[in-house]
Amino acid sequence: MVPEHTADADLIRRLKSRDPEGLATAYDRYSSAAFGLFLRITRDRSVAEDLLQELFLRVWNRSREFDDSRGSLGVWIMAIARNMGIDYLRSAEARFNMKLRPIDYVDPTALAHRSAEPDVDSKRAVNTALSALNANEKRVLELAYFEGCSQTEIAAKLDEPLGTVKTWMRTGLGRLRTAMKLRAAQ
Amino acid sequence: MTHGEMQELYELYVLGALEVEQAVQIDAHVADGCEFCLDQIRQAAQVTAALPAMIEPVEPPAAVRERILASIATPKRAPRLQTPLMGLFAVAAAIALVFAFWATGQLHETRRRLEDALGQRDQLRSAIEILSRSQTRAVQFGANDNVAHGRVFVNQNGGFVFVGSDLPQITPDKTFELWLLPAKGAPQPAGLFRANPSGDFVHVANTAVDVKQIAAIAVSVEPKGGSSAPTTKPIVVVPLG
Repeated sequence: MVPEHTADADLIRRLKSRDPEGLATAYDRYSSAAFGLFLRITRDRSVAEDLLQELFLRVWNRSREFDDSRGSLGVWIMAIARNMGIDYLRSAEARFNMKLRPIDYVDPTALAHRSAEPDVDSKRAVNTALSALNANEKRVLELAYFEGCSQTEIAAKLDEPLGTVKTWMRTGLGRLRTAMKLRAAQ
Repeated sequence: MTHGEMQELYELYVLGALEVEQAVQIDAHVADGCEFCLDQIRQAAQVTAALPAMIEPVEPPAAVRERILASIATPKRAPRLQTPLMGLFAVAAAIALVFAFWATGQLHETRRRLEDALGQRDQLRSAIEILSRSQTRAVQFGANDNVAHGRVFVNQNGGFVFVGSDLPQITPDKTFELWLLPAKGAPQPAGLFRANPSGDFVHVANTAVDVKQIAAIAVSVEPKGGSSAPTTKPIVVVPLG
């Protein structure tokens, strides 16, 4: 979950006015979440660093396009990050590199750099919901979110019937939806 | 597809996990301006925004932050040397400095070009997305060659593309600023842009344009960095009605 900040309005104003301090603040807030996402998607530390650099240059160049009526700054940044990560996965270079590694490979150096920053309260609520997902529900959501797979592609990857995959996704997303509504009501 | 059938598809749509046929149907429906679906998609995005919580944040190396901030910073000028002795050192170091400045200049130039290219690519993608929507309509402005003229391609949900020629030359401390002019109320800032030396311009804005509320799009000349309200009389006004 991306931390939400009440000071985002001021940060957005600074980004839109091309204040470099604004980008520094945005980086300090969201780089750890984005870097973790890139590592999870690419499983390659140097690629994740390159993508992180490109992400914040895009945020800098496109900040005037950001429309806060469509969601928070953090959600916008993470959506761009996810699209960039999946674009990379679909590139020829990535397909070549990924074939050289087992599917569960994680760059070991990545684990030595976990953020010391504690999770925010909202993340705890989301984590509770995520922990309620069973292994199958979690797996299909991971494949959809981190690898950009369609339900048909997930069924093929897991060698499961399409109907079963659809059920797992529906129930998994339903649990998340319920948790997010409860969180919003608190 | 009915709203009932779409009810459980919005999150899958946001995730990009739907089959192409279903996604295309929802795309077309949303492009037609269905407010209910737009609201459902916004809510779905909030649900799927929880999914990154499946991974732990990881602190990136400090060097990445330094590289990013250096690439957007204006290079600082070296301080002037004060004493004759330091001047001699300066002479001795001049060749190395010239080379270093040349190399640094090349690096900054390369980075600047890369940023420009990435910006142009993103702008092109946004423009194609807006132009390809079925509900996008074109509005022409400026009928002759002596004044700014061109077209606005506007889509209620996707934004607008503002393209044309013959904008006047402005000094580097000024910029062109776009405004959405509501039928009632104050102008809303909609982005900054500059024309090329020939006066040609293209600007893509992903801001939603409620064509029922917005009567016109206008351009004014503003101080560099833009203004929150127009400070000069608009040089272009394009009625959308």
